[in-house]
Amino acid sequence: MIDTLLWWLTSPFEYAFMRRALAACLALSLTAPILGVLLTLRGMSLMGEALSHAIMPGVAIAFLLAGFSLPLMMLGGVLAGLVTVALAGGVTQFSGLKEDAAMASLFLIAMAGGVTIVSLSGNALDLGHVLFGSILAVDGPTLGLVALGSSTVLVGLAIAFRALVVECLDPLFLTLQGRHAGWTHALFMVLVVISLVIGFQTLGILMAAGLMLLPAAASRYWSQRLEGMIAIAIGIALASSVVGLLVSYHAGLPSGPSIILLVGLGYCASVVLGPHRGLKTGIRWPKRVVPSRQAGQLR
Amino acid sequence: MAETHASRLELHDLQLAQANRTVLEHVSGRFRDGAITALVGANGAGKSTLIQGIMGMLRPVKGKVRCTVPKERRAWLPQQLALDLTFPMSVEELVMTGSWPSHGALTGYCARHYRRGREVMARLGISHLAHRPLGELSGGQRQRALIGRTLMQEAELLLLDEPFANVDAETVEVLMTVLRDMAAEGATIIVVLHDMEQLARLAEEVVVLTGGHARWTTAQAVLQSQPASVGSARLALGIPGVDA
Repeated sequence: MIDTLLWWLTSPFEYAFMRRALAACLALSLTAPILGVLLTLRGMSLMGEALSHAIMPGVAIAFLLAGFSLPLMMLGGVLAGLVTVALAGGVTQFSGLKEDAAMASLFLIAMAGGVTIVSLSGNALDLGHVLFGSILAVDGPTLGLVALGSSTVLVGLAIAFRALVVECLDPLFLTLQGRHAGWTHALFMVLVVISLVIGFQTLGILMAAGLMLLPAAASRYWSQRLEGMIAIAIGIALASSVVGLLVSYHAGLPSGPSIILLVGLGYCASVVLGPHRGLKTGIRWPKRVVPSRQAGQLR
Repeated sequence: MAETHASRLELHDLQLAQANRTVLEHVSGRFRDGAITALVGANGAGKSTLIQGIMGMLRPVKGKVRCTVPKERRAWLPQQLALDLTFPMSVEELVMTGSWPSHGALTGYCARHYRRGREVMARLGISHLAHRPLGELSGGQRQRALIGRTLMQEAELLLLDEPFANVDAETVEVLMTVLRDMAAEGATIIVVLHDMEQLARLAEEVVVLTGGHARWTTAQAVLQSQPASVGSARLALGIPGVDA
């Protein structure tokens, strides 16, 4: 029994590609949920999700030029993401309208353009890799880039963490201070783009934001403290990554959806069972009134 | 400036507009340092517009705001603060964010900051709430915590938009004491008020906004020019009151 379990747990990692996949997923799980917590607290969850699609044209153009080369596709993704963020910010500044409409429009255009470019050059299989991720393709250099990207995100967060929290809570306060406000937001968006690009190769463009947002959303049901939320979100992401990879290996399922479905399971469980605002604690079952003789007598 | 009172905040022929519609024009005057100035006027008279102009959130059409208070010593508590009440943060953490501008983004809080934070909370009577999440506070407790942040910030220019709305009587007393102390220490404080009684107790100077213009006067003059009844005082100033 234990032998079977051990085999189930360890046998996949005898393969180098699975070890690399695991390392990439763990690097992502350690960083993306922190950004996710900040995104959800800002009410920008959907923006993060939409932004994950904005990296598509860059990935597609890199694919068109260099074939299925993950490092180049990552670079293209980062560039496309940054350009889109800058454009959305610019359009918003110019028109004075809300940022989400500009973002949504630009992301739709980006997605459509990206899919068109990929289908022009490759075949359906390539498109599938880009959209749904292909963990098996993570090679040495790509893993190096993943590590570099994750480290950058961690360092960036460490430097700007307090500013990010203050901006989250009360943007007006930071704006009035006159310094850091614009930079804080810009830095945050850059970190989100980097993290999404790390996510795209393991999870695919369609689900790149999954390890960022789902654990963060789930963590709100378990903790009322920021540190607690971040720790829980990272924990959920790490566990889902490991188990998701194992399940995908043994069951022959695609890795990205397996991981995201597991985080999703964690989210659903949190909504129901979470001690803070969870359904279980939220619903006050009416106490069963036992009709007793005494009650009758009192009346 | 050969004036009797020093002023770190002056308005020079200021014209402010919202959506291309002029709200205030030819506004000139100075806010006295170390004094509490009440800002009164009917709804739509331009109180919020003037505050936005002073805080640099609204670019003047004409004229200028001259403010020598450094930005990190300016504080503004809008009436409807876009504060997320479900944010996972405790009262102490909120108060401590006030010290953030003075020590930069890279260094953390040190024991001195925490000591100051505790002093500030004690002064506002919210020490027992230090570890309570923001979402569990009453309106008055939240207002005290926010004033705590401005104290932590050592604000020298403080703009408050109806700070006593939806706040319990005890909090009003505590906040009035704290605001008077801050003014005594030299801070320039501007408060939007609707209540004549609160104005009488708090403000020394008054800026009345009517018909797109601002008129500087003293609290005494405003109160003396009014009959004894508080309700008619509201009417005379064109201030909508609950019982006017």
